[in-house]
Amino acid sequence: MKFQLTDEQRALQEAVRDYLGDRFGQQQVRAFYDANDETGIPADLWKAIGEQGWLAVMVPEEHDGIGLGLLDASVIARAFGACTVPGPWLGTVVAGEAIRLAGSPDQQAKWLPRIAAGEVKAAVALLKQGTSNQPAATASGGTLSGNLGLVEYAAQADLLVVSADDGLDLVEPAAASITPREALDRTTRLAEVILDGATAEKLANGNPLAELVDRAAVLAANDLVGIARKALTDTVEYDKTRVQFGKPVGSFQAIKHDLADIHLAVTMAEHAALYAAHAQDIDTADKVVAASIAKAKAGDTANAATSAMIQYHGGIGYTWEHDSHFYLKRAKRLEYAFGDASQHRERIASLVLA
Amino acid sequence: MDLTFSKEDEDFRSEFRSWLDQNLPAEMRTLDWWRPKSEDEQFQIRRDWEAKKAEAGFCGIQWPTEYGGRGGTPTMKAIYDEEMAKSNAPRTVNPLGLAFLAPTVMAIGTDEQKAAIIRPMLRTETIWCQGFSEPGAGSDLAALQMKAEPQGEEYVLNGQKIWTTNAMHGDKIFTLARTSAGAKRHEGISMLLVDMHQPGVEARPLKQITGESEFGEVFFTDATCPQTEVLGGEGNGWMTAMLLLSFERGSSAIGQYTEFKGQWNAVVDLAKKVDRGSGKAIEDPVLRQKLANSLIELECLKLHSWHVLTQTSQGRDLGYEASMTKIMWSETFRKVSDTYEAVLGSAFQVNETVGTTIEELTTLALWSRSCTIWGGSQQVQRSIVAERVLGLPR
Repeated sequence: MKFQLTDEQRALQEAVRDYLGDRFGQQQVRAFYDANDETGIPADLWKAIGEQGWLAVMVPEEHDGIGLGLLDASVIARAFGACTVPGPWLGTVVAGEAIRLAGSPDQQAKWLPRIAAGEVKAAVALLKQGTSNQPAATASGGTLSGNLGLVEYAAQADLLVVSADDGLDLVEPAAASITPREALDRTTRLAEVILDGATAEKLANGNPLAELVDRAAVLAANDLVGIARKALTDTVEYDKTRVQFGKPVGSFQAIKHDLADIHLAVTMAEHAALYAAHAQDIDTADKVVAASIAKAKAGDTANAATSAMIQYHGGIGYTWEHDSHFYLKRAKRLEYAFGDASQHRERIASLVLA
Repeated sequence: MDLTFSKEDEDFRSEFRSWLDQNLPAEMRTLDWWRPKSEDEQFQIRRDWEAKKAEAGFCGIQWPTEYGGRGGTPTMKAIYDEEMAKSNAPRTVNPLGLAFLAPTVMAIGTDEQKAAIIRPMLRTETIWCQGFSEPGAGSDLAALQMKAEPQGEEYVLNGQKIWTTNAMHGDKIFTLARTSAGAKRHEGISMLLVDMHQPGVEARPLKQITGESEFGEVFFTDATCPQTEVLGGEGNGWMTAMLLLSFERGSSAIGQYTEFKGQWNAVVDLAKKVDRGSGKAIEDPVLRQKLANSLIELECLKLHSWHVLTQTSQGRDLGYEASMTKIMWSETFRKVSDTYEAVLGSAFQVNETVGTTIEELTTLALWSRSCTIWGGSQQVQRSIVAERVLGLPR
């Protein structure tokens, strides 16, 4: 019984954090937030993400990837959450998973090496907006139609992966109507995407939409626990030194008991997010429930931790110049991505109460 | 990550399971079997069964063989806890003795104490109570007032203990008393091992909100105890108590998870039967969220148990993180109980097994409220986590 990361996975975790800390710390996140430009990611950061192999992690070795599992990718996702890393990493990785799971050998050979190398930015529209299990578009004679709602990085992507009622499709962004929208969380970019008879290329090998959404939800859950842990840690550090009534505010039980509860919740969410990734990797009987447990727990917990971060920093936590809102807004984005906590709880109910 | 158990561990599981199959009658595994029996009868059945189990070698799983234990690993103890809970086997009659006193005696007791205490406890020949809390000393244990004055070769004890589990069945009590007037409140305290079968010791039951009297009060009026019956040395009682309480830290809570998951399964079965007007409870969207949420907490508790087991198997002391385990299992128990109450709705007011109400689950729902108090209340545990784990100032 070893419910823990391997030494290699821990080394990966350290490597990602060290790299980001050195080259893309909170100063750079802030500069990126304030610039709010259309590229959606600093070019040198995207280049580095490709060079570090963080996009190649789940791409099979035969397609120039590293051939590791969702748990390894989750280690990266968690560090990205903790460091509020901008960019289309998640969408590109999930697009790669779609092609790995459902692409023909030709489709895999065409796209996976480029995804692994960071030569392609991809965006995914897996779910009809607001739903947790319905496809985004309708297929007809090799074309797709439908309002895909808000899609992250659609305006910056080289490739769209869209779910339709009969499977997963590759769509060229040029075939879609894409209208950029200002995102609350500036570590992403949003656009409204409408397909109206857009030419599409079906992924040839089945329709693993549910599996794909689960894998995306598990990565989002790991990003969320990374956010939650960082929000808690920063808040604890601040409340150790902020003095009111002649004492550090962290000495007051009204605050410290809540922080203890959040520490407990974050710890549980970390367990759930790690287990869910491992469950997908080794194909356990409970892997679907595990994915929903992870997403529900991580979403609720990140919400609690980032809200507490603002509350227990007091007025400074409500200012633009403080980092609190980076975490809050990123958590809010991911909380509602790939099914929110209520939807996942209902899914758990439908799976286990039958 | 490797979530499998070794062959040795799995062999132990099969061996214990087959012993349970042969020695735990089917009727004793049902939730309500115990109901019609008096508390004394229940206790005696449990005591006899535990003695039989000990004779078969399924006791002191993690303890060295020299003390009559099995010499097993933390993993085997977790497997034992899981199988006990799965089969709904009777709970130990010596919960505080096994969890706290015995490991302390092994660590710092005299050879005479080791011989006199450990094996008889395993065989349930001696039932041990814990005498810590007093009317004025609950969460604030160092406020304790009970006196034990040295007279000749004895101590003479006067005072009162309260919330004493198994007070009405106890043979001996390990208790904290003031043997001298210390300069500070943590000083001058000793841990004494006192015979409860003597005229100066009187146990009285306390009726709990369940209607049962699992705990009671113990009054000491010129009771005596030989001066050799000090554990850890005279005046070292506070240190001894802290060492004793630290032995809970390695507990994985897999037994609690297994037990609560069984209750959750029973609640799901009920939810399929209870009519809530617009349909069965299981069709109610709000109750479905509640059922799913308590399952989420249950599964997190299981994963935390695996985490604890992983750490202890690698020889790490969990330290103050043990408080997290206590908060987690007791809160999860509360959530499962809340879900039971919410599923029943108005039927929860009935205190007998009729229709969809199961008296034992109702009793457990009430009992769950004690678990966030005893052994360090939720509020004390939160302070420990905040100060000792997160490093927040006192």
